[in-house]
Amino acid sequence: MKTIIAAIDNSAAARPVLVMTQAVATALAATPQAVHVIEDGAQTARASAEAAGAALRTLSGDPVEQLARVVAEEDVVALVLGARGRVGGPRPAGHLALALAGRTDKPVVVVPPDARPPKLLRRVLVAMEGSPGKARTLRRTIQLSTDAGLEIVVVHVDEEIPSFTDQIQHETTAYAREFLARHVLDAPRARLELRIGIPAAEVLTAVEEFHPDLVAVGWPQPDDPSRGAVAREILDRSPVPVLLLAVA
Amino acid sequence: MSSPGRTRRPAGVSRDPGQTGRSGLPPALDRRFEAVVLWSAKPSLAAGTAHDLLALHGAGSTVAWLAPASTDRLAERLTATTPDAPALLLADSGGGSAVSVDRSGTCRLELLPAESRPAALDRAARVFARRLAGLGISTFLPPRAAGSLSTSIELVRDPTGPATRPRRTRFLLQHGVAGVSQLVELAVDAARQAGIDDPRVTAEDDHVVIALRDAGDVAVGVLHELWRRGVDPQEVLTVVDGSPGLPRWSAPVVVPDIRETTVVLVNGGRRPPGAAVMALSGGTARMHQLLADQLRRRRRRSLPAVPTRAGWSLGVEGFDLESERVHEALLTLADGHVGMSGAPLAERAGRHPWVVARGVYTGDGSASHLLTGPVAFALGRMPDGAPLQRVLDLRTAVLHEVAGAGGDLVESVRFVSLARPTTAVLRARTLSPGRPGPPLLPATDDPTHDAGRAGDATWIRVAGSAGGITAAAVQTRSRRSHPMEGADAGTWVLDRVAVYDSDPDALPDPAPAAAARAATVGVDRLLADHRRAWARRWEDADVAIEGDDELQLGVRFALFHLMASVADGGEAPVGARGLTGMGYGGHVFWDADTFVLPFLAATHPAAARSMLEYRLRRLPAALDAARSFGRAGARFPWESARTGRDVTPRSARDRSGRIVPIRTGQLEEHIVAQVPWAACCYVDWTGDEEFARGPCRRILVETARYWASRIRVDADGSAHIYGVVGPDEYHEPVDDNAFTNVMARWNLRRAAEAVEAADGNDDVGERQHWVELADALFDGYDADTGIYEQFAGFGRLEPLIIAELAPRRPIAADLLLGVERTRGAQVIKQADALMIHHLLPDEAASGSLEPNLRYYEPRTAHGSSLSPAIHASLQARARDFDRSLEALRIAARMDLDDLTGSSAQGLHLATMGGTWQALAFGFMGLRPAGGMLCVDPVLPPSWSALEMRVRFRGSSVLLRKERARLSLSTDRPVSVVVGGTPYVTGRRDLVFRRRGASWEPMP
Repeated sequence: MKTIIAAIDNSAAARPVLVMTQAVATALAATPQAVHVIEDGAQTARASAEAAGAALRTLSGDPVEQLARVVAEEDVVALVLGARGRVGGPRPAGHLALALAGRTDKPVVVVPPDARPPKLLRRVLVAMEGSPGKARTLRRTIQLSTDAGLEIVVVHVDEEIPSFTDQIQHETTAYAREFLARHVLDAPRARLELRIGIPAAEVLTAVEEFHPDLVAVGWPQPDDPSRGAVAREILDRSPVPVLLLAVA
Repeated sequence: MSSPGRTRRPAGVSRDPGQTGRSGLPPALDRRFEAVVLWSAKPSLAAGTAHDLLALHGAGSTVAWLAPASTDRLAERLTATTPDAPALLLADSGGGSAVSVDRSGTCRLELLPAESRPAALDRAARVFARRLAGLGISTFLPPRAAGSLSTSIELVRDPTGPATRPRRTRFLLQHGVAGVSQLVELAVDAARQAGIDDPRVTAEDDHVVIALRDAGDVAVGVLHELWRRGVDPQEVLTVVDGSPGLPRWSAPVVVPDIRETTVVLVNGGRRPPGAAVMALSGGTARMHQLLADQLRRRRRRSLPAVPTRAGWSLGVEGFDLESERVHEALLTLADGHVGMSGAPLAERAGRHPWVVARGVYTGDGSASHLLTGPVAFALGRMPDGAPLQRVLDLRTAVLHEVAGAGGDLVESVRFVSLARPTTAVLRARTLSPGRPGPPLLPATDDPTHDAGRAGDATWIRVAGSAGGITAAAVQTRSRRSHPMEGADAGTWVLDRVAVYDSDPDALPDPAPAAAARAATVGVDRLLADHRRAWARRWEDADVAIEGDDELQLGVRFALFHLMASVADGGEAPVGARGLTGMGYGGHVFWDADTFVLPFLAATHPAAARSMLEYRLRRLPAALDAARSFGRAGARFPWESARTGRDVTPRSARDRSGRIVPIRTGQLEEHIVAQVPWAACCYVDWTGDEEFARGPCRRILVETARYWASRIRVDADGSAHIYGVVGPDEYHEPVDDNAFTNVMARWNLRRAAEAVEAADGNDDVGERQHWVELADALFDGYDADTGIYEQFAGFGRLEPLIIAELAPRRPIAADLLLGVERTRGAQVIKQADALMIHHLLPDEAASGSLEPNLRYYEPRTAHGSSLSPAIHASLQARARDFDRSLEALRIAARMDLDDLTGSSAQGLHLATMGGTWQALAFGFMGLRPAGGMLCVDPVLPPSWSALEMRVRFRGSSVLLRKERARLSLSTDRPVSVVVGGTPYVTGRRDLVFRRRGASWEPMP
């Protein structure tokens, strides 16, 4: 049995987290389960879970430790949680999401409080900076997305200007084919969008252009404050849920 | 990736050859050799040994016999009896004559260069005699036979008493000579004083022979002949039948080339063997054991050894998904007709085997691309992570692979035969029967049209939009069980032979019979023929750089793929990536005419002629294209595929995701002049008058007509070409692109010359018009600055110096600065005005190279893979060696280091051609002009020598440039110009030494 954990707090952010959890669970043929670590009450959390039709498991103690323990359970394949913050305001992902993402190699989906997740996932945007390590890790996401029948848009942002562009009409195609073949091996029909520039900005522009239901990005593991700037910025500014994947 | 170093030869053993292998022979002999050289002291040959040698020869091994007798006498004792076997080599170790004997008869070989110094022997004898006389030793000089390459000097002793050895030694000592070794030193010194730099001297106490050659030289000549047949000395077993009386018995020890072989001394008597020589006791029986062991290996279908010669092989270790597809392209095998990726034989995730055939496309227009064919190089499945090693032998175009471990180990060799084009051959050895799978697999990228079986052959066809590719294959498997096989025992051997057929315009019929016929030839014979064919190609094309091993490998790698990608019959459409991948759709650009063809014109003219044939057959399409633009004559397309119509897309996304218009198809018109330039390049190198008078003239005329209709004459009488794109594609459209205009001017003038030289029935008015237009054509040259303005108004653009602005170069400046900013700046993509100096140096203003290099190079982003090699060439001409070598190394590593990120889609053939041009035009200063080969070499300080081989007007030419020395060797008289002075080569090498800025011939 596969379980998707929805880590909800006792706020309005719980609802989009639960919707997203249901969507992910459907895509992965898994069972959603809501978890709430009681800090300042549980009424909103309980009501939200009930409204979503999800069983609620309540825990007490340190949220990071408790949730990390839940995520480590064998049947748990992914964690969905909210980005703490006010609707309409700046919303740093919060220490909880980042701490958990830094401690597990299972996918962690961070849902903005003002996100409006769909009931069914259709399109995933995979952000790749092109480094081999990230490419290898994101291949798991691509594989999962392919298996779930999702439409995949890979956005590859190169910060470095290439050395050569011989004949643009063929060079871009050749480069794209190679990129797909090397990094997106298991999704031959994935769409590749090439960009050059500041990675986070380019990815967020692509989010506006392609309207994905989910953005997948690499997240450094073990947690390293000096790394992951691109993912942090995407987390901060993405209007759609962000899937964090461990990157060695 | 690695370039394997030279194999460490097993140390020579003395009397004890060490532990014996399962074959009963020392471990160093527990392998298959590709050739066996028997070096006999006497012209006799035991009947059993002769039988063994012939049997080995009949089994596909190359066999040479070296003995002191005329080749006629040797042939009486050893006569080839197997019609399909490789040639048998017979050499007279005393005289140096040699023959090869095969089914076509006896062919005399020139093992050693012609000798012109016999008279010096007489001088040497006289000098030596005077020296000895000074020591009180009288000598007798017997007359030297006419043409003899040795002279004898007899020492006259006291005639009383027996001539015992102690007496002779005492005699020498009495005269102040401390033994034979000092006698030799005196003779060597005398010979050198007489002008023989490298004498061969043998001496006894009372007898000295000074020779120009000896048996060791003949043996080396045999090895060179084997090298010319594609057999590396490291793959040679030299068996020295060292019975008493062998002249210069120690020759194998002192001749370095021989030491590269595995040397075995049998019948060596009591004399100790030298280092690196294995002495085996047992006489004739041991000889039989040696030869029988090799024969058994042949019959049991053993594998050739993995090549290890530095500078000639490319090794790839392991299987890494990120770089695997690049490796597969780098290891491509091709014969000019079909190309096959170097993917591992066994299926594993991420592997991508493919086959393409020359000129066979599918799809239409700009969407047309190379069709992929059935795959012959596939064998079972291997778990991901299984060990893998591949080594490509560049000299013989054989790919060796070792995959798996333990019981899953699979060793194999494969090649696409150059001797028998379109034939793919695989031999694999496995430890377990496994599941090799069918002999052919469907194409990876295109659907199977139909498939079937006929007799032992399996066939598959793949259809394109017009033509198609078919392949038929036969495979056999057998199990070895003989305990004497040593490491080969208990293994399974699979031989697979596949024959391809392709046609751009029609679906070829399945040809299972062709596969069956090829299979009956046998893998060993196919391999021997293939190796010899490749060796012949290298014989006319190799470039040796002494002093830069990494560059050496890069250059040979480039030459290898240039040779492999172009057929030498019919028509050869050479796409931007040749037969090394499907990138660029296999479309043909100016890359082919301008960058690839010169190498072939100068090394394998038949292939260059095939490339021109592709253009010729599409001349009607070019005529149509000109008409469609409202012009006369022929307009060749920027991009073409099967039909010859332009297939350049009109828009594309760039790497930043923007959609950009593509205007090269409409505006990059210099391609019109590149085709006649290529035709004239072929004529200039080959002197093919028939082609010059016929097809070349027609191309010149029709393209001149195009330019005549394209050029606009302004009111002031000046002629212009408006609205084009030059090689610098950052700026479009531009007026009066200097390179385009100079190419058009050259085209008009050369066409006028061709017409005038023809038959006098031409339209004088038209010819005169071309000449007048050419004279009036604006070329942007400013005599005050010595600079060609790249196009009208270039000097007024924003003066950005990309060399200072960019974080590095090469760099795609249009992506760095944006298209519009780049267009408005003096930032260029690649050599543009400088292409005048590279392609048409005679059209460039005298002394204008340096100022144009100084001006344009800092403004060049080198954002085209074509740019570095051209700059390397021009900077070499300008003696700017540091920058030249920097650029040359980039060019030579373009694909090896995947500098474009797209080498997996195919290798950059034009860069490879440019690399050769940098060496030939830039460093060696080669240029055909007026029926003569002009040579003006320069050498960077870090190289000790540059050696190049080319063909010029039917002659093979070897050029060697050392620090202050230049030598030219040809196999027939060739007119050359060195340092501005004409010479004609003869039987002797032409040797020059540098005197200041000029070259002075040496006597």
